[in-house]
Amino acid sequence: MSVKYTPVQWNPNKYVYDLVALAGIVLYIVLFLKFAPSEIERAQQVNYPILRMRAFGTCAFILLSVILCIGPLARLDPRFLPLLYNRRHLGVLTFAVALTHASYVIDWYFVFSPTDRYVALLSSNVDYSQFLGFPFEAFGIFSLFVLLVLAVTSHDFWLKFFTPPFWKALHMMIYAGYASLVAHVLFGYLQGATDPIFPVLVAVFSITLLLLHLAAGRKETTFDRDTNANADGNWINIALLDDIEDEHGLVVPLPGGERIAIFRYDGKLSATSNACAHQNGPLGEGRIIDGCITCPWHGFQYRPEDGRAPAPFTEKIATYRLQLQDGQILVDPTPNPPGTHVDPVLIGETH
Amino acid sequence: MANAHNDFFVGYIRGVPRGSRGLITFVTLAFVVLMAGAGYFISATQPDPGPGRFFFQYKSFTGILETSPYPLIRVAPDDTFPNGHTLLLAGQGKRGVQNKAASLAGQIVDVGGVLLKRGDIDMLQVGGKVPLRASVDGLSDIVRDSIDLSVTDLGVWRLTGEICDGKCYTGAMRPGTGIAHKACANLCLNGGIPAVFVSTAPVEGSEFFLLADLEGNPIDGALQRFVAARIQVDGQIERRGDLLVFKVDLETVEVL
Repeated sequence: MSVKYTPVQWNPNKYVYDLVALAGIVLYIVLFLKFAPSEIERAQQVNYPILRMRAFGTCAFILLSVILCIGPLARLDPRFLPLLYNRRHLGVLTFAVALTHASYVIDWYFVFSPTDRYVALLSSNVDYSQFLGFPFEAFGIFSLFVLLVLAVTSHDFWLKFFTPPFWKALHMMIYAGYASLVAHVLFGYLQGATDPIFPVLVAVFSITLLLLHLAAGRKETTFDRDTNANADGNWINIALLDDIEDEHGLVVPLPGGERIAIFRYDGKLSATSNACAHQNGPLGEGRIIDGCITCPWHGFQYRPEDGRAPAPFTEKIATYRLQLQDGQILVDPTPNPPGTHVDPVLIGETH
Repeated sequence: MANAHNDFFVGYIRGVPRGSRGLITFVTLAFVVLMAGAGYFISATQPDPGPGRFFFQYKSFTGILETSPYPLIRVAPDDTFPNGHTLLLAGQGKRGVQNKAASLAGQIVDVGGVLLKRGDIDMLQVGGKVPLRASVDGLSDIVRDSIDLSVTDLGVWRLTGEICDGKCYTGAMRPGTGIAHKACANLCLNGGIPAVFVSTAPVEGSEFFLLADLEGNPIDGALQRFVAARIQVDGQIERRGDLLVFKVDLETVEVL
């Protein structure tokens, strides 16, 4: 977090992240284009423009698959969280790779013709009534459009502009984009593929992604189901003090499905909404650092007693009232308006 | 403060926590190895695009022009083709030469360009110093009589294979077949490039057929929807010189 506006707040972690991503992409493309083809003895090689479009197309598929693995992995094991931190840069790189693929396709298959290349793209394969031979280009165009929208709006400026709920919903389009990309590959390249590697990779990534998301979803639903909140008037008996380590948080679901985060710090307890105002990160899985709740996803911070980001930042989240009775933590499930001060419960006085 | 949270990652404060370092290092290396390995092996195992290619040595020919179903020239025996040959004609890019050929049908013509060859199918990309024109020097009667203008009906056949555009298939693009290439093939066919049928089994020694509808006309949009798909179709095959023409019955097309 910083005061001065800078387009990208670089730090050593981001440099390393981006360098690794770039190294992977450069290795992929160079090996694909320069080294592998010369190893094969054929009467004729694949046209270089087609080789390029295949290199960038397959690379984009693998990158997007890797990106989509990161979310559920981080839900299943917090040790993966450093991979989540700069995932947007990987997404923007993926868009650049996919755009390069599309450019090579358009500038090879759809040129040398009296018809304008973009008109040709949209008009030369349009029989949507057949299964085999379905115009797979449409799937690719949709995926590229999704990647474009997500890349263009990936900056936090747009997150603030759109508001986090809308931005988050917008960026969930990535799943539609990925499904469309799988269809693009299935109805296109794989229809004529006799090579084993890429079809196997497509299957492995698709199945892995499905299983990872199912596992992460199962973990979430199990978490909600296993937590029993006992109501006592307006107050809900929600957790034990001993459940929370010092300087840590605890995520607790309320009966209505809302999740709150309870924090123990400096001999006090406070509760806030569990959703970070930045990208809905799980604040209860964060820590208290420098007296502030710190989100595990991107490090956004809030004061535990009023849910406000420290000045000069303006983000704020809902707070909740707590009671502590004989080691039991009770919460009033009615959220206070974001940024409302609530006196912390002092552990020493009541425990 | 930092020491109390050595297992907690905050990107703008510190590096990867000690507890995650091994896993993140492994994942990072795995990513790089995955990218390198996938890049190499996906490329190395790509299907063979076939032997078609351009022969960029400029050639010119004199022969008899036919325009149905697509422009082609019956070439007299010469140094390049000692037994004579039938060459399909195409223009630059995704363009046919129908406009230039229309007024020259049945005439002796000169034409130059570069050859595309794949197996026993040859196509001339017309251009350069000898445009498609009425022949300047003509052919002697002896040479003219040596051109095989016969048309032999080989009967009705059911073939399995793929409709392609003749230019990409003969090597303008490698590969110039398959679903991934379908839009390009349609664009070529719309531009007037001759359509060919590539059979999975040879007829009279040839797996390549110039394609026409039952009346001997160029294929239209109704048949083009099957371009690049593996199909089975009935039709009449006729031999024109050393070229086989497959006149297909649209009603019998079956996608396999």
